[in-house]
Amino acid sequence: MKTKEAYFSTFQLILLALFAALVVVSKIALRTPLQLPGHSGVFWMAIVIVAAGVVPKPGAASLVGLTSGIIAGFLGMGDFGALNTLLSYTMVGVGTDLALLLMQDRENLVVTTLAGMLGHLGKFLVKWVLGAITGAPLGFVALGLARALVGYVVFGALGGLLGGLTLKALRKAGFFAYLAEKR
Amino acid sequence: MNQRTRILIAVCIVLVLVGVVLGIDALRRGTRGPELPAGSVPIYVDGELVAGFTPDDLDQLGKTSFVDPVEGKTQEGWLLRDVLLLHVDEADLQPDTLITVSSSSREKSAQLTWAEVSNPDHMVMFDLSNKGTLKLVSVLEKLDTRDEWVQDTDKIEVAAP
Repeated sequence: MKTKEAYFSTFQLILLALFAALVVVSKIALRTPLQLPGHSGVFWMAIVIVAAGVVPKPGAASLVGLTSGIIAGFLGMGDFGALNTLLSYTMVGVGTDLALLLMQDRENLVVTTLAGMLGHLGKFLVKWVLGAITGAPLGFVALGLARALVGYVVFGALGGLLGGLTLKALRKAGFFAYLAEKR
Repeated sequence: MNQRTRILIAVCIVLVLVGVVLGIDALRRGTRGPELPAGSVPIYVDGELVAGFTPDDLDQLGKTSFVDPVEGKTQEGWLLRDVLLLHVDEADLQPDTLITVSSSSREKSAQLTWAEVSNPDHMVMFDLSNKGTLKLVSVLEKLDTRDEWVQDTDKIEVAAP
């Protein structure tokens, strides 16, 4: 009897879980004194883009976002509660997935830059909507909404570009040929 | 559909999303009334709105800093005294005038007298947090630990005693 093949292999799931953990670790460890909303997007959008390139299936980025959101929620990260953290991290993945679904070429630098921008914009939208409902600010008080929004877009784009460059470097180093043997 | 068209669609989506956010925010501000600029912290004197402290105001003020003795971190920002004097006449501020700085999202507030705020040695100041909001900190005993700081400040009230 033919068994139905799982959408993600166990190896891919392990890889995605590791990327999710890396997103959370980067958020904790890679702190920069930029004092601009969204600046951490440089690191974690890069990781999400690399994850979506290493496991090139729709849903990979969403799974990384959801898993990192659950981990971050349990660790008490984020200033506005676990629900805000879970939704915003998940939306990073969903936004990236939707962007990659539209543009398809996961190693094109323009595509990764735009995917990073859209993914990070998804996080901004969640925080903005929840902020409007609950009154929680998002860097608007000191910097104004437009500057906060520009921060998210720019840092998301930089993260996407960094992720795209990392994917290119991994391909050059033969990582994808190595992965093809493993899965 | 070729790659170029797909990329153009993605760029349009980014622009539409940015436009929608800014548009809705402008509409919301319009319904709140024109007296408060975007991103401003309202300052009330005896219950009456007198001004909104805006991000642009920060450029006019000198920065100061101190090393937080509890966590050993450098707190850098703008004195609350200077922020208030930008919008409130010094003659209206008596040593026992009460100044309340609060955050609606954190449900926190700190109440200080003008005598405490105006003394530069007390370093009653706003530090810019990593996410770009204002955090009230000080070397005063009642405002020198993380639990006592007022993060995400969104209101300043001045009340005659």
